[in-house]
Amino acid sequence: MDLSNPYIHAALIIVAITIAFLTIMLVVAATVLGERRVLAFIQGRVGPNRVGYFGVLQPFADFIKTMMKEDLVPDQSTRFVFLLAPMIAVVTAIMAIIVYPFGPAVTLPFLGTFPLVIAQFDVALLYVLGVTSVGVYGIALAGWSSNNKYSLLGGLRSAAQMISYELALGLSLIGVVLLAGTLNLYEIVEQQSGWYGSQWNIIYQPLGFILYLIAAIAETNRVPFDLPEAETELVAGFHTEYSSIKFLLFFNAEYINMITVSMLATTLFLGGWNVPFAEYLFGRGTLLFAFVCVIGFFAKIIFFLFLYIWLRGTLPRFRFDQLMDFGWKFLLPVALLNIVLTATVLFVKGSWGG
Amino acid sequence: MSAILFILFAGLAIGCAVAVVAQRNPLYSAISLIGVFVALAAIYVTLAAPFIAAVQVIVYAGAIMVLVIFVIMLLNVEQEERRRKRLGFLVPVAIGMAAILIAETAFIIYSVQVSGAKPPGPTSDVGLTHSIGVNLFTTYLLPFEVTSILLLMAIVGAMSLARQGKLLSATARVVPGAQVLAMDIARPHGEEDLTAVEADTTAESAHLMGVEFQSDPEERE
Repeated sequence: MDLSNPYIHAALIIVAITIAFLTIMLVVAATVLGERRVLAFIQGRVGPNRVGYFGVLQPFADFIKTMMKEDLVPDQSTRFVFLLAPMIAVVTAIMAIIVYPFGPAVTLPFLGTFPLVIAQFDVALLYVLGVTSVGVYGIALAGWSSNNKYSLLGGLRSAAQMISYELALGLSLIGVVLLAGTLNLYEIVEQQSGWYGSQWNIIYQPLGFILYLIAAIAETNRVPFDLPEAETELVAGFHTEYSSIKFLLFFNAEYINMITVSMLATTLFLGGWNVPFAEYLFGRGTLLFAFVCVIGFFAKIIFFLFLYIWLRGTLPRFRFDQLMDFGWKFLLPVALLNIVLTATVLFVKGSWGG
Repeated sequence: MSAILFILFAGLAIGCAVAVVAQRNPLYSAISLIGVFVALAAIYVTLAAPFIAAVQVIVYAGAIMVLVIFVIMLLNVEQEERRRKRLGFLVPVAIGMAAILIAETAFIIYSVQVSGAKPPGPTSDVGLTHSIGVNLFTTYLLPFEVTSILLLMAIVGAMSLARQGKLLSATARVVPGAQVLAMDIARPHGEEDLTAVEADTTAESAHLMGVEFQSDPEERE
């Protein structure tokens, strides 16, 4: 098959997007169930285990139940924005998946050789940051349009929190970019390939990794940074007035964000799809190697998702002023320090090396 | 293909731009402006300038407009009523300005047509991050540094303007949400707990709390 034909290329990309979308949705369902089970374990409960074996069908049962609920729209709300907000949230969340490399180049019969990534382009990392930064509108506008004080407070908190932590998030990634010399995520992963995982960026950027992890949790509004939906203070925060499918969209957006943020952490710091020894055992370019790599990629993502759930079961919530102080007075200076350190080391190394 | 994309995004940009001006609700205007920025970013991508497109979305749509929407939400600006034309004498000036703008656009289109220059194709590397970075730090280093100093001056200026007249003492904390949290002022040696009053200035909040307000934090020690 001729891959250079634009129509075949477009068709293949649509197929790839569909597969990636369905995969992400399945991971979302698994995360929702996993969160409930792990939280139950942490809190000494049983958790959902009635629907299907070990409760595996619980997310689907919840999905159907939520869909059947009445779709309420507050009387005094701004209807158009009220409808628009959950769409923005979920679309911007899902848009980021197209640049992540799921696996290495594979050779398939009839299709030829192609890498397991939907779109490769020069500014992939900036694209991810841009799409993430637009996602805040979903929450902020939802808070405003509901015409509810709790929602408005949630939206305001979310907007303030996300602009504050976006800076730290972006700056924590600059160290990796300095090391890699490119913004193309596929190339960054390729550079980290090696037999033992000794090329992974986490070894060279431990500070950047920790900063990114903290800022990413804040960006996704998860515990301990879940002030926009602090249920003890704001009922449910920005999505108080949302029900049925619109609530479902917000719910999905949060979990998709968790997954994409974990994907970015994996891609930049943990070597992406690289699995130690896999190249040595299976040989590069084989189908088995690609399979192991994709499994490895998802295993790393699941590790991050577990970390998220673990934190939720362990940590209490920040107070708002603590949150702001932490973001501006701790994370930001340390991220700047990390950049200066990385740049200095690279400069010294470069001038000594030649 | 690129013609369809251009018409789609240019139409979106123009439609949103008209909506920015026509909407009476400031929040709708702001949302429309975000639409303009996103549509422009898409046009940049079709012009083989992905870096500019990404920066456009990150800086304008993702940072500046979030602040604008934040302020509109915070102040809860009411929908502007339809009122009679104020400043009616500006209408001829506006028409003149519009005529100049259209003339300039026509001139640019004409001169491009005459020169016969071709737009950069999708394979051009002028708009890529690498070439922008190299040019920014070699050929255009001085303008780049001057611009960054200008930005730094603007930041320092904004800080000093905001601090002018000691609106807020150094120990007062501003938290987004129209509140001044004046903890040290109320109980300088009390426990670390925040007392919130709704006020615009520290002096006002101190008055509301019934404590003596000293503008200089050193005097209290």
